[in-house]
Amino acid sequence: MTDAGGGESFEVRLALAQKTSAKLREAIGFVIVGQNEVVDQTLWGLLAGGHVLLEGAPGLGKTLLVRTLSSCLDLKFSRIQFTPDLMPSDVTGTNILVTSADGSRHFTLHKGPVFGQVVLADEINRATPKTQSSLLEAMQEHACTIAGVRHAMEEPFFVLATENPIEMEGTYPLPEAQLDRFLLKVIVPSPTEDEMTEILVRTTGRDRGEPPKVLSREELMILRALCRDVAVAEPVLRYASRFVRASDPTTPGAPDLVKRALRFGAGVRGAQSLVLASKAVAMLDGRAHVSFADVQRVAKPVLRHRLIRSFEGEADGITTDQVVAGLIEAVATRPEAVQQAMAR
Amino acid sequence: MPPAAPTGSTSSFRSSFARWSRRVRARLALRHVLTGAAIGLVVGTGATAAAWTTRHGPLRPGGAIGGLLGAAAGFAVARRRRWSDPHVALYLDAKLGAHETIATAIELEGQGGDDDSARAVVISQATAALAQATPKQVRAPMLRPWHLAVPLAAAAIGYLSWIPLPPLPEVAKAPPGVDKVQLAQVAGLEKVIKLSEIDPRDEAQKERLRKLAEEAKRIREKLRTGAEKREAQADIAKLRDAITSERLSLGDGEQRAGMEAALGKMAANPDLKQAEKALGDRDLVKFDEEMEKLANKLEKQDREQAKKTLEEAAEAAKKAGSPDVARELAQQKKLMDERAKKGDALRELAKEMGDGLGEDGKDALKDFEKKGGGKEQQKLADKLDDALKKMTPEQRKQLAENMKKKMASAPDEGTGKGPSKRQLKDLADQLDTPEGQKQLEDELKKMAEAPEAGSDEAERQKALDGAQEGAGEAEGDVGGTPMPMPMAGGKGDKDGKGGPGKDGKGGKDGPGQEGHSEGGGPGDHTGQTGVIEGGDLRAHANAKINKGKPMPGMVMGRSAGRAGDTANIAGEGGIGNAGPGEIGGIERSDVPEEYREQVGRYFQPR
Repeated sequence: MTDAGGGESFEVRLALAQKTSAKLREAIGFVIVGQNEVVDQTLWGLLAGGHVLLEGAPGLGKTLLVRTLSSCLDLKFSRIQFTPDLMPSDVTGTNILVTSADGSRHFTLHKGPVFGQVVLADEINRATPKTQSSLLEAMQEHACTIAGVRHAMEEPFFVLATENPIEMEGTYPLPEAQLDRFLLKVIVPSPTEDEMTEILVRTTGRDRGEPPKVLSREELMILRALCRDVAVAEPVLRYASRFVRASDPTTPGAPDLVKRALRFGAGVRGAQSLVLASKAVAMLDGRAHVSFADVQRVAKPVLRHRLIRSFEGEADGITTDQVVAGLIEAVATRPEAVQQAMAR
Repeated sequence: MPPAAPTGSTSSFRSSFARWSRRVRARLALRHVLTGAAIGLVVGTGATAAAWTTRHGPLRPGGAIGGLLGAAAGFAVARRRRWSDPHVALYLDAKLGAHETIATAIELEGQGGDDDSARAVVISQATAALAQATPKQVRAPMLRPWHLAVPLAAAAIGYLSWIPLPPLPEVAKAPPGVDKVQLAQVAGLEKVIKLSEIDPRDEAQKERLRKLAEEAKRIREKLRTGAEKREAQADIAKLRDAITSERLSLGDGEQRAGMEAALGKMAANPDLKQAEKALGDRDLVKFDEEMEKLANKLEKQDREQAKKTLEEAAEAAKKAGSPDVARELAQQKKLMDERAKKGDALRELAKEMGDGLGEDGKDALKDFEKKGGGKEQQKLADKLDDALKKMTPEQRKQLAENMKKKMASAPDEGTGKGPSKRQLKDLADQLDTPEGQKQLEDELKKMAEAPEAGSDEAERQKALDGAQEGAGEAEGDVGGTPMPMPMAGGKGDKDGKGGPGKDGKGGKDGPGQEGHSEGGGPGDHTGQTGVIEGGDLRAHANAKINKGKPMPGMVMGRSAGRAGDTANIAGEGGIGNAGPGEIGGIERSDVPEEYREQVGRYFQPR
């Protein structure tokens, strides 16, 4: 995608986006076996300008996926291995006293790994909340304040965090505010037998080398702008609004499952994320507009980490994915009259 | 989905969308119209059915208007619920699987701005989607199961409009007697009105008779202006009851004891048996007739005995507090002598005329001697009158001579059989002179034409009988069937020629009831009742007959209660009276002694 300038028509840009995303998937697939849905969802986050939280058992290729993605993108990659003793300054960087050649001493900012373009926050739940919070400003505002000086991030800024849901001892669950900053929470599933076999073939033989770089910084920025230009009709926006509102158990008319299983629902940021992710999906699908199906497709990764289960929900083992599935069933996409006409 | 080439402009999208939306909206509107028509036709069918049931034939097709009104209402609803463009677009998106392309295009098209690249793409994609659509794909639902009611209801309305109306329901028949009856003249009631003119027994009876006459007048006026048939019948029937009650009033109530006492005395004389029974039955006309028969039939000695009995009976009645009964008995005693004298004279005259009397005359004489009744006396007088007219002056002279000769051997006054000397002398004197002969002819003629006047009570009862008969005629005039009333039995002979009723012919509508006395009832006694095959009878009557006892006294079969009255009204008629044989009946009954007083009080005549 070398000729993806802003002068091209929307339709051409849309076609190029499709083509580029296909290339990206192909490049990632050079290293990652299977996990198509995980790759797609990661791309949604990348194109929509959001951050992605990857959750999965150890050894499922989360870190590898992020590293491969960063390799495919001509972007500055940095990695932070979160540990309990990691300090915020280890993330953001700090001013250090430097002696210059003339013997004078002054403080010089030593930027932390957060100042990358693709930041891998590996096992983010192993750090303390204080350290986790050091990412908040960078994730939300794409800026970082160090010693009273605000430093803007270099765009595109994309945080990919991983967390391990199994080893809970010595971990610090991400606070809600932190979780809300992630556009998507992607569940990394175990590979199938075929995928596992292919993984064994690839990883136990000769090194296959690095995947090609298929997307430059400029191209990515164009795609992000294109994603923002995808149109959303009012009925779809209303559907997204109804969907998110229905996840709030205090909303009148909320489904019984929501009232039973949730303590808190998604908020405005959730609705925004829903639409943004839907736009990415539509764009990758070659459409200049969002459909109801797009919203439903992104609902689980967008909302699953934003829904806070109630005691009853936890006790009954109701997952947030089940609640979202219930919402997809319960919330009507079209006006009642149209729904009735369709049903006949 | 591959990106569609921007083949269509905004205007082509608009026109394409407008075409499809028209189809969709038209079908949706038609659905509402059909639904409204179905409801209207169902309601109209009900209305048509109601019109058919109530026989409003011309209104039946009007049920179809319900369908039209329903369709109009459905159209109005369709207008109100008309889908907006976004609704139609969403529907088309869903039907065409366009992923909300059309809905988005509708929105972007409305926003304007050609520089929006996404807008052009979306509209282009939407246009392409609409271009590929087929009518079958986007066909909006129109027919519903309930729309089947449209043809069915229309057919029902047509059928109900076509079939003949149901037959007229049978009008409930008016209760019997509610029809009006209007009569300018009721001859029968005039007889009742004349009751006020008869000589009353006393002031109380005078007042009662006046009231009867007043009531008859009132009924007459009522019938002139028109009245309900049943009401008129009830009034007349009550009037008849009142007349009957008045007819039986002698020796009633407080004077009952006197009547009983008199009857007791009369029962001692066998010759007065029939007379006593007639008096007990309060049949004073018959009582008078019986007394007349006795006067004509009895030997002087027996006659004297009968007179004595009557005197004793009168005395007993008087003592027992029944002056009316005593007066009647005393009058009968007096009449007995007069009747006997007349009878003797007629009999002697007939005998002396011998063959000049003719065969008919001789038969009349035989009848008179045998029965001694008033009719026989009339018949004999008639024959004597005829025979006397046929006699020459010499024959009359000879007859007078014969009378004088017989006078010599005739007994003195009051003893023996046949006329006394004085009676014979009177007859002879009359036959001696033409004036006397003329006078005798007149007397005979008078006797032949009209019966002898009876006692006052008998005459009074005759008038009441006439009034009762008149009331019966009046009841017949207003369409009723008079109830048989207790009246004197007919005077028919044993050969059955006498009919029921007082005069043997029966009234126009009130034949009267046959009495218990002889000669009652029609029928030929020469005939024979067929033999009843009694072998198969499983039971037979074995009733005890009170031998020698009279039949129960006069008991009227109904009270004065009539239509509109209730059964709680105590009987006011003859039902309240007790027959002679019923007096003291409780003491003779098997009612336990301790209850007799109570039972007696219950059955005490009022």
